Amino acid sequence: MDANTMIDSLSTQFPDAVYDTKVGSNIRIFAKVKPESVKDVCTYLKKNLSFGHLCCEFGVDYPGRNEIEVVYVIGSYEHSVILTLKAILPRDNPEIESVVDVYWNANWYERETYELFGVKYLNHPDLKPLVLPEDMLGEWPLRKDYKGFPNKTARNLV
Amino acid sequence: MDEKVGPSEMIVHLGPQHPMMPGPFRLNAKLRGETVVDSEVEMGWIHKGIEKILENKTYLQGITIVDRICYLAALTNEEAYVGCVEKLADIEVPPRAQYIRVIMEEFSRIQSHLLGMGEYASFVGFVSMFMYTIRDREDVMTLMDSVTGARVTHSFLRFGGVKDDLPEGFKDDVQRVFVNLRKAIDSYEELFSSDEIYRSRTVGIGVLTAEVAKDIGVSGPPLRATGVAFDIRRDEPYLVYPDLDFKVCVQKAGDVYARVQVRLDEMRESMYIIEQCLDQIPKGPLFPEGTAYGRRTPVMRVPAGEVFHRVEDPRGEMGFYMVSDGSDKPYRVKIRGPVYPTLQTLPPLLKGVKIADIVAIAGSMDTCTSEVDR
Repeated sequence: MDANTMIDSLSTQFPDAVYDTKVGSNIRIFAKVKPESVKDVCTYLKKNLSFGHLCCEFGVDYPGRNEIEVVYVIGSYEHSVILTLKAILPRDNPEIESVVDVYWNANWYERETYELFGVKYLNHPDLKPLVLPEDMLGEWPLRKDYKGFPNKTARNLV
Repeated sequence: MDEKVGPSEMIVHLGPQHPMMPGPFRLNAKLRGETVVDSEVEMGWIHKGIEKILENKTYLQGITIVDRICYLAALTNEEAYVGCVEKLADIEVPPRAQYIRVIMEEFSRIQSHLLGMGEYASFVGFVSMFMYTIRDREDVMTLMDSVTGARVTHSFLRFGGVKDDLPEGFKDDVQRVFVNLRKAIDSYEELFSSDEIYRSRTVGIGVLTAEVAKDIGVSGPPLRATGVAFDIRRDEPYLVYPDLDFKVCVQKAGDVYARVQVRLDEMRESMYIIEQCLDQIPKGPLFPEGTAYGRRTPVMRVPAGEVFHRVEDPRGEMGFYMVSDGSDKPYRVKIRGPVYPTLQTLPPLLKGVKIADIVAIAGSMDTCTSEVDR
């Protein structure tokens, strides 16, 4: 199955949820997905198109458009096509369904996106900070308007 | 992991500083008697915020930063980062530079495996093996030093090429080192396979099945030890790998012994690749001709776009996702390290093993915490 058939199969299965599909090359395909149906799409991808390998999942902040994109890069152990799936969330209240039930290793990626961007994952088994200390929760350091922490640097302590 | 401790149970914290670990992470193991009931990995002691730092550096400055993700795989990290920019800006790398990159990246694989394997042998009590591998690794490091000018953080790759050409007489030096290294690897293999104590600590211990490994997203030697022939160099070739002959080293067992065996075989394959490269390497420029790219690339603006580029790291699949907005700094860089999923195999793998095997299993993954935390 080549990249074109995959993207056709995806858009016929989810005519409402998947939009802006694009074939970049014979190993790179792109699609956008409505946030509420991301779990169904991922289940279909894994079951029917053998996209069983979640390469990574992360956020990108766009303060100008007031949006946060959650990007899923999904590959496979069977074929070398990589799908970049994007869900666009409002920046004030980013919430999206967790895909941990589908991709086991999404757990840490989602915890990291939560602590760095403030994206809340619904039905995540254990949503707590991964790399940051607990008291930095709420500062969302990888958002573009993060100003650093001038009050916590050594210069202010001495 | 459930924090509640039942009767005759206790929680043991291994780490953040522990001899089995190359970097700081904490393994909380819940024990009943000597058996691990449940475990959990805690991260964050060495979080450097490299993804945020890269957003505030120009593309050229970023090369030195990505070196620091994991010093053992500095060259492959650079390859993934530089490859992203080359795809975005549509830069063609001349063949000679591609060959030099392959040579250096395979050297970096050899030295990483030598350190990882030797360290691992010392975790299970085979301390003299560590001394052997470190001695042989020193020859490889000297060769790398003679080309890049640095031992660990090389900053060797540039957009469109490499910093320096191979020095005079490099091929002879390589051949001299490889004669010794081949003998050394054979003797390691013989020591590993003949040592009864080592075998009883590793054969059949920590068996990772292919289904679980695929589910967790593992790549690299831990995955290939389970029988899955997944290698980015073959499945999604970059540089001149399509022109080179090499095989993907696979083992069936999936246990600790198989993981070490895959690393031994891969070192032999890497040496074979380097020899082919040195025979085939064409003469020519190191940077695309007629462009501004060179050793000191001027401040460059990269066309807007998004790209995901992945390479085969010594530990597995290293991928960079780069978003460019057309300025001289990347808008967002996501680093997908191979150890990030590999480390998550520990809780399922450790369920039901004896506490003495924790070190044998966790060490065999060749984890690099610096890369997981970034």
